[in-house]
Amino acid sequence: MFLIIGRTIKEASRNFIRNGWLTVAAVSVMIMSLFIISVLYTVTMTASGILKGVENKVNVSVYFKPDTTENDIQKIKSDLEKYNEIKSVEYVSKDKALADFKANNVNEPRILDALNEIGDNPLPSSLVIQANSPSQYDSIVTYLGDASFKDEISHINYGKTKDVINRLNNIISEIKNAGLYISLLFAAISVLIIFNTVRITIYTHKQEVEVMRLVGASNMFIRLPFVFEGIFYGIVASVVSMGLLFAALKFASPYVTKIIPTEDLVSFYISNFLLLLGTQLAIGAVIGILSSLIAIRKYLKV
Amino acid sequence: MIKFDSVSKIYKDDYVALDNVTFEIKEGDFVSIVGASGAGKSTLLKLIYAEESPTSGTVYFNGGPLEGMSRRKVPFHRRNIGTVFQDFKLLPKKTAFENIAYALEVSGAPTEEIMEYVPQIFEIVGLSDKVNKFPHELSGGEQQKIALARALINKPLVIIADEPTGNLDPVSSVEIMQLLLKINKLGTTVVLATHDKEIVNKATRRVIVLEKGKVICDEEKGKYKIC
Repeated sequence: MFLIIGRTIKEASRNFIRNGWLTVAAVSVMIMSLFIISVLYTVTMTASGILKGVENKVNVSVYFKPDTTENDIQKIKSDLEKYNEIKSVEYVSKDKALADFKANNVNEPRILDALNEIGDNPLPSSLVIQANSPSQYDSIVTYLGDASFKDEISHINYGKTKDVINRLNNIISEIKNAGLYISLLFAAISVLIIFNTVRITIYTHKQEVEVMRLVGASNMFIRLPFVFEGIFYGIVASVVSMGLLFAALKFASPYVTKIIPTEDLVSFYISNFLLLLGTQLAIGAVIGILSSLIAIRKYLKV
Repeated sequence: MIKFDSVSKIYKDDYVALDNVTFEIKEGDFVSIVGASGAGKSTLLKLIYAEESPTSGTVYFNGGPLEGMSRRKVPFHRRNIGTVFQDFKLLPKKTAFENIAYALEVSGAPTEEIMEYVPQIFEIVGLSDKVNKFPHELSGGEQQKIALARALINKPLVIIADEPTGNLDPVSSVEIMQLLLKINKLGTTVVLATHDKEIVNKATRRVIVLEKGKVICDEEKGKYKIC
């Protein structure tokens, strides 16, 4: 068994080198397909990274009536934290609200003056609620409206952000869908192209397969070198495509960072290096194996 | 060794390639199968190495019927048969040495055995100086000798040669024929299909004449003729 595997690997690597131009053709088609898929993957991942950042900024604020004590609010807070839909609840006291307000309007002396005129702190204390996903805000607001502590609530700041949240929600799911469909489309196209290339490669081996059968080679012995050849295609293509991807990201990175300061493509590449390489290797090898197996069936009369 | 028992082979469109053929080839025989193109020579040989199966009748090889042999066993059956063809059928991307070694590799022979046997066989066919040449670097006669060496390397029971001299000049044809006779002398059964009158007559061995799929003549020490 080891003898057979050793011999077929040797055979495959020899074919790989001696086939020259066909190898170059097959590998370069594969490189391009893998490259396109991984660029798309990077784009989708970056986009959803940006969206996640925006998502994190969305929240619902619950403002309490002035006579509600901090104790009551803390109780409500720990109550809310028990729900699965709710990611976090932050307590903003009257004093903190005032400090935040002042900080936000430090360049607006008129507003600050007006605030001083009042003398008292007009701002209510509040709870800032973040949901796990934007689609859950509706049910959270409904819950708050019916809750046992609804009398303590002065108002809920959601109506204003509601539209924004809904729109954001739609955009997120549309981008995710589009990314998925485009990736699938490209994956399908590249599978077809690679399949055809490998088929042509094997077609040129048609005579060889015939000879192999004549000298009494078993089907497995004939097939294995082609399978390994397919795997070699996959390995070489994914390594080259990783290199190309790095160069492309390195090139694009300054521009992207200029537009969206939180995104750094190169560090995305580095932190996802193993994942990207592994996926490409897997895709490359599987496509190589599958197309070899299917293409050679015809000549084996199995 | 090889026995055809009322064998017929009918291809698609009712083309009758072999029509009720019966004969027997004994171990150590040298048999020439002659006939015009399309007489059924190649079909007859294909039935022996199980590339085709008969429409009716049974082919026996080495005592057992080939009928009902599973696809898995066909490669093992073929290792008992060495084949030589008009177009040599060498693997173009392999050197002469690799072409011959391949036939041993497929049967799972250990590497030491390959390193020992292959040079020996090169000596037998007289091409020891062409070991590392690719087929396109060799003449037709040399390629056919390599093909013959490959057919021999597994120590087959039978050598099947389908028009082995068809693409060769007269001198090379004689050389190939001499090699086949030498191989036969050493004990291997040889089945030769040809329409080369000259070499058949020179050999003065058994001749089976096929015409339109039928055996019309079967003579010991025969000559190429129209019966």
